[in-house]
Amino acid sequence: MTFKTPHSGGRPGPAHVTQLDRRAFLSTGAAGLGAAALGLPTRARAAGRKQISFASAAFFGNESFGDLVNSFNESQDRVMVDYIELPPPSSSTEVYQGLVQQLARGNGTPDVFSQDVIWIAGFAAAGWALPLDEFVDAEMTSKYFEGTLSACKWDGKLTALPWFMDTGMMYYRKDLLDQYGEAVPETWAEMARIGKAAMEAGDTEFGFLWQGKQAEVLVCDAVEAIASNSGAILSDDGRSARIGESAAVEAIQFLYDTINEMKISPSDVLSWDEEPSRQPFTAGKSMFLRNWSYVWPIAQDPSVSEIVGKVGAGPLPHFDGGKSASTLGGYQLGLNANTKERDAAWEFMSWMSAPEQQKRIALNFGLGPSRPALFDDAELNEKQPFMATLRPVFTGATPRPVTPEYAKVTLALQSGISKALVNGEVEKEMTALSGQLDKIVG
Amino acid sequence: MPRWVWPWLLLLPTFLAIGAVAFWPILEGLRLSLTNTSLITRQSDFVGLENYTGLLSDARFWNAWGHTVWFTFASTLLETLIGLGMALVLYERFACRGLVRAAMLVPWAMPTVVTSKMFGWLFDGQNGVVNWLLMNLGIIDAKINWYGNPDTALTTLIIADVWKTAPFMALLLLTGLQTIPKSLTEAARMDGARGWTVFWSIRLPLLMPTLLIAGLFRALDAFRVFDLVYVLTGGGPADSTETLSTLAYKELFSTLEFGYGSTVSTAMFITEAILAAILCLWLVRTIRRVS
Repeated sequence: MTFKTPHSGGRPGPAHVTQLDRRAFLSTGAAGLGAAALGLPTRARAAGRKQISFASAAFFGNESFGDLVNSFNESQDRVMVDYIELPPPSSSTEVYQGLVQQLARGNGTPDVFSQDVIWIAGFAAAGWALPLDEFVDAEMTSKYFEGTLSACKWDGKLTALPWFMDTGMMYYRKDLLDQYGEAVPETWAEMARIGKAAMEAGDTEFGFLWQGKQAEVLVCDAVEAIASNSGAILSDDGRSARIGESAAVEAIQFLYDTINEMKISPSDVLSWDEEPSRQPFTAGKSMFLRNWSYVWPIAQDPSVSEIVGKVGAGPLPHFDGGKSASTLGGYQLGLNANTKERDAAWEFMSWMSAPEQQKRIALNFGLGPSRPALFDDAELNEKQPFMATLRPVFTGATPRPVTPEYAKVTLALQSGISKALVNGEVEKEMTALSGQLDKIVG
Repeated sequence: MPRWVWPWLLLLPTFLAIGAVAFWPILEGLRLSLTNTSLITRQSDFVGLENYTGLLSDARFWNAWGHTVWFTFASTLLETLIGLGMALVLYERFACRGLVRAAMLVPWAMPTVVTSKMFGWLFDGQNGVVNWLLMNLGIIDAKINWYGNPDTALTTLIIADVWKTAPFMALLLLTGLQTIPKSLTEAARMDGARGWTVFWSIRLPLLMPTLLIAGLFRALDAFRVFDLVYVLTGGGPADSTETLSTLAYKELFSTLEFGYGSTVSTAMFITEAILAAILCLWLVRTIRRVS
């Protein structure tokens, strides 16, 4: 989920600790030790300020979220924020457990937290996330992407504040499209046709790569296919299943057909998640790839990519009569319902989500802003040109099923869709899955 | 203080330690399995055997149960046979025997997560060495999709487990072989017994207790298989590699249903206890017969 960051040399990954960071870390560490030895309070500056805490999964770039928190603490003298660092987003199950354990205690810590979009409904339904409607108005919410905003709502109330996002998108071989005189395909059928042609011409080994491993990413791929056929997994109120309907069945059938009918995808995609599907693409072996934004800097890195300068990225195709959809990911901000410092907590989280900070996060962490206006920002366009092209993709961001039972829903989806993709009895499996989902959310 | 108090007093720390790390978690798991505890709904009410009746009619549970039992049976059997073969070879004198004995343990010493990644690459459907070898040897004519096909996924995991743990079996069996008095085999040879006869009539019967104990260890360990599945397939495709451990993990830590999750792990505990009891009975009978 990391875009090219100015100093990162084009590879996503762990922190790039500079000399300066290290020195700063050592000196604060030494100061803390000294103060502790003398029995002094380590936070003398906190005197008279409201103390709150902020917990977040640890993202890295040219700085950390701890640096952002420091900037906030220095920017004003009313609120003092303690940063609680949770594991990185790659260990999202652990982040989830950590948050649930703290929130379930109900003692108001952490006052503010960041959460994966798929947890929002669960936290809201458990009463852990404070509805934010008293703080926001339509004027303020209209500044965010609509899809992100709807993922931040539960039961009609806004229970999370949009922060940063990422979505699924289609990568294609620009050079081959030019060679064939084709435009970027807008429907799945066109994509399949071009993918097949590329294979038959011997230009690529595969037509289309996606992720079919029985894991969360399979649900993401399925949401995109289903939503681009005007279908859905759950009804709008989240209380009944729609995955048995023909729109959804057709979409899953298409995924099955990419392997077995059109043969534009190898059957290996059934065991692939993001990286195994990325590798053949950047090795020049596939015409199309569905993946997240992190692929871009890798595709442009000559040390690992065979297709530097030959790649394009854009919205995923859709079915006839449907609209392109891309699964929404990313972390959004939540306000602990048990906090004792509501206003201070709100001040901090609205600062975090403000345009300046979102821009800083986009530039230094490579994480996509949830405010469309930022995509017109000149500095962002200059330093992160790829991100600037993602506006149409982010506009089509589609949430995964919004339900407090998401954890159970996703396990059922992973198992049911995987079965359909393996045995090809799509309609039967989707009907069975629909029954299971009704039982979970009904 | 009366004299009889002393031994109990000295045993007390041990009892406390074992109680805290072994008995309490088991009892707590049992208690949780009788409740509907969920961190999400924040319920924690006693529901009697409701979870257990639910479990018995849960297709996911029986699916995982079947895979776990098959995995345990197949991997233990193969590891015992291969381990026995390795032990018999390593028992004989040959050049560099010490080096080979040490090298043999490398797979076992490797963290399972590393083994898993390694086997992920070896059996990779597109670029894996295994497919490349089989194709070049002319055994198959199309690449096999090892992890993406429900017919081969579990077998591939079993192969990885056998590779990793057969050396451990070999080590245990080798120590067993070394306890067999040399005089017995020498006497048999004097009487004209050939290699096979020595093996079937002397070594194997005397090795049986060690073999069964080693088998018991392996079976109990294989029953808990988690890391291989977690790293390589996540339980897929189509639930074809879901085991009891991964199912319990998903229930406990993904959905945070501590009640039902504990029921799964208790059911696992019961199955494992039955398995251990059967093997132990067999073991006791064998030991009686040998001695």
